[in-house]
Amino acid sequence: MQIKTVGVAGTMESSDIVVRVEPNTEKTGGIVIHLESNVIRQYGNQIRKVINDTLTSLGVDSAVVTAVDKGALDCTVAARTKAAAFRAAECADYEWGGGK
Amino acid sequence: MYKPAHLYNASLSSGEGTHKAIKATKEFLNSLGLFPETDADFTVNLLDDSDNIVATGSLVGNVLKYIAVSPTEQGNNACAQVVSELASHAYRNGIIKLFLYTKPENESLFSSLGFYTLAKTEYACMMENDKFGLDKFIKSLSTVPEEYNESQTVIGSIVCNCNPITNGHLYLMETASKACRVLHVFVLSEDKSMFPTDVRFELVKKSTAHIKNICLHKSSDYIISSATFPTYFIKDLANAENINADLDLTLFGSKIAPALGITKRFVGTEPFCAVTNSYNQRMKAILPKFDIELVEIERTGGISASKVRKYISEKNFEAIEKIVPKPCYEYIIANYA
Repeated sequence: MQIKTVGVAGTMESSDIVVRVEPNTEKTGGIVIHLESNVIRQYGNQIRKVINDTLTSLGVDSAVVTAVDKGALDCTVAARTKAAAFRAAECADYEWGGGK
Repeated sequence: MYKPAHLYNASLSSGEGTHKAIKATKEFLNSLGLFPETDADFTVNLLDDSDNIVATGSLVGNVLKYIAVSPTEQGNNACAQVVSELASHAYRNGIIKLFLYTKPENESLFSSLGFYTLAKTEYACMMENDKFGLDKFIKSLSTVPEEYNESQTVIGSIVCNCNPITNGHLYLMETASKACRVLHVFVLSEDKSMFPTDVRFELVKKSTAHIKNICLHKSSDYIISSATFPTYFIKDLANAENINADLDLTLFGSKIAPALGITKRFVGTEPFCAVTNSYNQRMKAILPKFDIELVEIERTGGISASKVRKYISEKNFEAIEKIVPKPCYEYIIANYA
């Protein structure tokens, strides 16, 4: 998945997270994550890992992510990251996981 | 969670409009000492169980404005809900860069909602939602002119609207360029003038092609824009205009100028326009705090862009030819004659 523009998902409300995904214009590339959270000391690395793994699983290898966390659970972090990435890739080809 | 109610294009500034929800929004804002000066593109109100407004906020262009929470509901996350609603409306409509302007005591509240401070004065604080927005703008500025003016060491700047460029602007730029090694010229990006932004910029570019040590930039959101000049009135602040000018100049002085090494800002003396003149006065007060010298250059022959626009409306093209550079005259003839 190619990140083409800025994609944002999530809200600033408690138990949610705002994830902003945009192209990484630096030559060094890669996934760069800037995280703010009031539980950054407790869960910062875990949140970064979920964002990073979610993007990697979508085939994103280069992006700048700015996330403002309000105490989101991992599943929320993953869902918001996915939504932001799809928006940033201008892609609507979702693979819903619900089966038939 | 409160019940959100959305309003589109609410005329919050004028006294008219009998729409119940708009009236209620205005009364709510007024009761908290806020008096909107512009209408909103999008407004969200949060309602309690009896449908009374407990919080509100609006989007005007890319600026979040008129955010207010009833004192009895503060601390219940109402502000977060308002900001979230406004931001998601903006994002859905392709507005990704958001700005807001608040009192310094609310800075930490908005910084917890994903806004980052651009400039702060005693009375106001300007924030944006992109942590690196200003850095990206500064990085995008080219700092190498066609040729340096090797006889000088100073790096100077001019900020102008050039609606359209006149011989007065040109004289200012030529005079300033002789006193500078590099002269950064910022043409305002806000598209609210008679001449569209791209036209104003192109005409400046063509008219100044002979000045080799100029770096020409679009001012973007960071210099004299709706974001740095939110027409916003707060009752307990005596002079909203000065507060806006001070924020704009603090941003220029503290972030933009140092990044480019700018130590002088050149302006023409302003005998005509009260607003511009008061902005010039604020420059004198604020810029020296950041070691930037304001250099006023005497205006020549009473030339002004407003005069050009007046002549256009009168179809007096002979008078225009005498006071604007050739590319500008040609554009006016091609489009207005």
